Amino acid sequence: MPDIEWVYIKINGIALKVPKGEMIIESAKRIGVEIPFFCYHPRLSMKEGGANCRMCLVEVASRMPDGSLRKMPKPQTSCSLPAAEGMEIETDTEALNADRRGVLEFLLINHPLDCPICDRGGECPLQNNTMHYGPPTTRFIEEKRHFPKAYPLSQYVVFDRERCIHCARCTRFTRDISGDEELNFLWRGADMEVATFDHTEYNSRFSGNVIELCPVGALLSRPYRFKARPWDLQSAKSICTQCSNGCNIKLDYRLDRIHRVNARLNEDVNEEWTCDKGKFGMDYISDESRLKTPMIRRNGELSPASWEEVLYLIASELKNAEGEVAGVGGAYSSNEDIYVFQKFMRETLRSKHIDHRMGPNFQSYNSGLLKRFGCPAMGNPIAELEDMKSTLIFGSNFVDEQPILYLRVRKGWRFKRNKVVEAAPQGLISEEIRHVTQFAEVSLNYKNGTELPLAQGLLAALFEDKGRPLGEQKLLSHLSGKNVAQCASETGVDEKDIRKAAELLATDKMCIFAGEYVTHSPDATAILEVLGDIAVLTGNAGNLNVPVSRNNEQGAMELGILPDMLPGYVEEQNPGMNTEEILSACVKEDLKALWVMNTDLVKEYHNSDLANSAMDACPFVVVTALAITDTAAKANVVLPVHSVAEKWGTFTNVERRVQAFCKAFEISPDIHAEWKVFSDLSSMLGSPMTYADGKDILNEIVKSVPTFAKCGPNTLGDEGVILNPVAGGKE
Amino acid sequence: MAELKLLLKYRDVPGIENIDVWESCGGYEGLKKALTMERSAVIDEMKISAVRGRGGAGFPAWIKWSGVLKHTDAPHYLICNGDEGEPGTFKDRELMLKLAHQLVEGMIIAAYATNTDKGYVYIRGEFVEPAKSVRKAIDQAYAKGYLGRGILGREDFNFDLYIHMGAGSYECGEETALMSSLMGERGQPRLKFPHGALPVDAGVWDSPTLINNVETYSCAPHILRNGGAWYASMGTERSKGTKIISVSGHVKKPGNYEIELGTPLMEVLDLAGGVIGGKLKAIIPGGSSVPILPAEKCVGVNMDYESCQAAGTMLGSGGFMVFNEKTDIVILMRRTAEFYAHESCGKCTPCREGTRWMFKILDRIVSGSGQPSDIDLLLNVCDQIDGRSYCPLGDAAAWPIRAGIKNFREEFEYWITHKKSPIGGDCVPPVPYRINPALIPLS
Repeated sequence: MPDIEWVYIKINGIALKVPKGEMIIESAKRIGVEIPFFCYHPRLSMKEGGANCRMCLVEVASRMPDGSLRKMPKPQTSCSLPAAEGMEIETDTEALNADRRGVLEFLLINHPLDCPICDRGGECPLQNNTMHYGPPTTRFIEEKRHFPKAYPLSQYVVFDRERCIHCARCTRFTRDISGDEELNFLWRGADMEVATFDHTEYNSRFSGNVIELCPVGALLSRPYRFKARPWDLQSAKSICTQCSNGCNIKLDYRLDRIHRVNARLNEDVNEEWTCDKGKFGMDYISDESRLKTPMIRRNGELSPASWEEVLYLIASELKNAEGEVAGVGGAYSSNEDIYVFQKFMRETLRSKHIDHRMGPNFQSYNSGLLKRFGCPAMGNPIAELEDMKSTLIFGSNFVDEQPILYLRVRKGWRFKRNKVVEAAPQGLISEEIRHVTQFAEVSLNYKNGTELPLAQGLLAALFEDKGRPLGEQKLLSHLSGKNVAQCASETGVDEKDIRKAAELLATDKMCIFAGEYVTHSPDATAILEVLGDIAVLTGNAGNLNVPVSRNNEQGAMELGILPDMLPGYVEEQNPGMNTEEILSACVKEDLKALWVMNTDLVKEYHNSDLANSAMDACPFVVVTALAITDTAAKANVVLPVHSVAEKWGTFTNVERRVQAFCKAFEISPDIHAEWKVFSDLSSMLGSPMTYADGKDILNEIVKSVPTFAKCGPNTLGDEGVILNPVAGGKE
Repeated sequence: MAELKLLLKYRDVPGIENIDVWESCGGYEGLKKALTMERSAVIDEMKISAVRGRGGAGFPAWIKWSGVLKHTDAPHYLICNGDEGEPGTFKDRELMLKLAHQLVEGMIIAAYATNTDKGYVYIRGEFVEPAKSVRKAIDQAYAKGYLGRGILGREDFNFDLYIHMGAGSYECGEETALMSSLMGERGQPRLKFPHGALPVDAGVWDSPTLINNVETYSCAPHILRNGGAWYASMGTERSKGTKIISVSGHVKKPGNYEIELGTPLMEVLDLAGGVIGGKLKAIIPGGSSVPILPAEKCVGVNMDYESCQAAGTMLGSGGFMVFNEKTDIVILMRRTAEFYAHESCGKCTPCREGTRWMFKILDRIVSGSGQPSDIDLLLNVCDQIDGRSYCPLGDAAAWPIRAGIKNFREEFEYWITHKKSPIGGDCVPPVPYRINPALIPLS
């Protein structure tokens, strides 16, 4: 961290010390002085398109080289004015008030003022600023600009061009943050309007963010349009469940319906962005298909039953099974559910056969990582990614697998001039033009299935570079005696590109991402060994990231839904069966009961035939689910359980950050929390579990699992806490 | 002080567009002389000449030149602003059309002085013929070894010159917008000092960039050939040298006249053969952006930066527009406002909304629907734009209207009360507003 150079300035006569070059609008916040604005956004670039709304004008007197103070003749935009020694700023003068009235009058002459039917009404910066600073009436008597209302930009976003105030936040977002550059201005002057090229569909994975960025009701959410007024909504702090990145979100709901999802600021995770999967994918919570009572199979059909009935049936079946029970799933449940589930399986039912993995690889690739580097998934926290001088994205459809990590890596490239090297199978690059390829310094476009030789090629190139220390000879064994040229011909990648990539990777701040093309490869372990070697050889040991992809998959690993690991990665002496072995055992009728934990096994398991026949063959299958899925439809008993909106709980995200989500509402008293099901059953089976709520369970986890020691319900806060490092590891 | 031909001296020499003829008139002598000097010595010569930017702002040229030379770590770029769009100004057009070699030579000298090896002539999109002429001059200069690698045997001096055609935007004449346009972006201005870096520090592609007007570069060969002191001997104390004035409007002989700076304004009028069609009513001395001068204020004003400013107007780009007594100032202002409303790039609020609003008010007045409050409203809108916009286009839109009302308020009042022109004309029928294709509903 370079030393900050401080300067002394005065705002409204109040002297303060701020970092040199900080924008005055930010400095003013330090002393609680509010400067109104529309277009300013600290995460969007100022150079290309900022400072255009002219709302944040201030009067500035700057210090001349001779020490005298000279007032600048024109008011200046505080959003783009860097603080300099001796500057004196006035933010609240008669002239500035007139300027603000002027800007607002200009903005309103073409604004339709249809606030009563505008979704933004009630939380609209234009409305708020007009109330505070605006003129009471207008002097404009001409015809306003008119456009058709609600022009659909995409399946998620509609655009009301009349309301647009041309602040360029959305256009800058697509350029600076999402990188798809889909939105820009057409025409010029007062005819200017935001549009996509040739009015084609707004095709972005992050389009929902422009709705939140828009300071008026111009860009609106299609699903939310006319559904509610902001003041009728309640909001619950929550965590997105659509992938492992763990975006902080707000669930805005009315009664028991989710109406929209907005991002919640967390500088360490998602900053203030969400992806469309998350923003528009959470409506399953209040979907009509939600299951509201337990179901039992009677005469071949699932029919409703009471909780007493189903729990009694399950308890007796599990008792009869005498330990010949297995459990799969858990990657979508909260940490508390997962912990109680494994405790129930291991201690109450005396079964070690639990696994959350859906294949195809069960070679414990993560435990391999754990042994070598002491990190089970990601070696770097998300926030650190933007400071990596070079990043290798290896075998990953990154933007889809890890949308928020993608934004971080892109941010580092866009604002910190970091370099990105991409290695992707040949089909992927041509189809996904907006992918990392667009900004990667080098794209290694390899033949499908040649991940291992490519990684070896990179390693060989690093070895051949004369500047590398040769003390790392032991790593050479992973090369299988290959040189760069051989690897190049095997992978179909130009040898020069491999060397160039290797050169870029040889920096003191480098990290590697291995995506699903690696983890799903039969050679996964070997590839990860070689990628680990690259990290070690460049002096970045530990910067190997193998991010998981499902909601709480990390939590399932951390809390021991693994046949060979107890919570906190304590090795199990006599491992149980993994998912594949469990399903095969079901088919062979070696298991008497199977518990599927909130997972659509039939769809998710990589071999659906095996999953189907296992479900058919197993004599007693219990499924906990939110709705009747393909898997639930085959079960003997289906239990309705809470979604993320209906309980308090925590998830562990991809960087091992434990984050809490809050209860918003209850859909039906007959839907229970998953942990409640297990604790009730456990009590019925003679091992009482007395948890009052999720926080009780988390407290127990904190006490019993050392990695969770800092994650008590009262210490998580809004930003969450990263788990303690795993003991052991390190080569 | 009177007409003094320097830049336009060889304008009428037959075949001057050919390099041989230009050389026989002393062309490329300035360059040859420059190459015998140190780079910094060339800039010193510019400093002694005290030539100021001829694009309108009048910023001393040598400061920019030395600002680029002092950078040693990044490539430098040279840009010639030939996006001459100021209504009433047509000097660059003639300089490029007839005296393209003079410009090319000036740019090569600037390139040498600033240690630059890439240059762009950004030419207004409508200037097809001038661009062809510059193209021809560049080709001939390459053939003679004045451009390219190792110019005139100097191993350490390479310079390539390219032409970039604009796409029809007035705003792109503003230097930061021009650089955006040159880089392939929307023709919108970029942050200026102290909000952003100066072009000489980080211009195009974040590299040190020298950007000057066609006329400024065209001065360089003469300054180098005859010395800065010789150039500085012309003009007034603070405005040195000559300036080309584009005279248009109600005069007998409209055209480009080169004068020594400080020449009385009325003398320029005489050069162009005097007013025709009636008595003089007003003069806009520096292009449509500068405040209009009524006839009674024209006397005693000299054509230099300081004297014009003292009279409440500006020398600007030298677009000298003369209006006789049959001119309706309100209609003139409406036309001016229409131009700025059309040319506003739309980036910032005051200019985007304010210019269109001003035009609508003025259009309403000349359509017979003026309100008594309109005059104060116009003045107030001018105040809300002036000094609040992102770039000077907003100021340039507000100044003429404000000056028009200040000097000819009674004509505005006459229009509003009588719903007809004080000059005798009737209401101008409303112009059918341009239909924006995007207004057509998308089905």
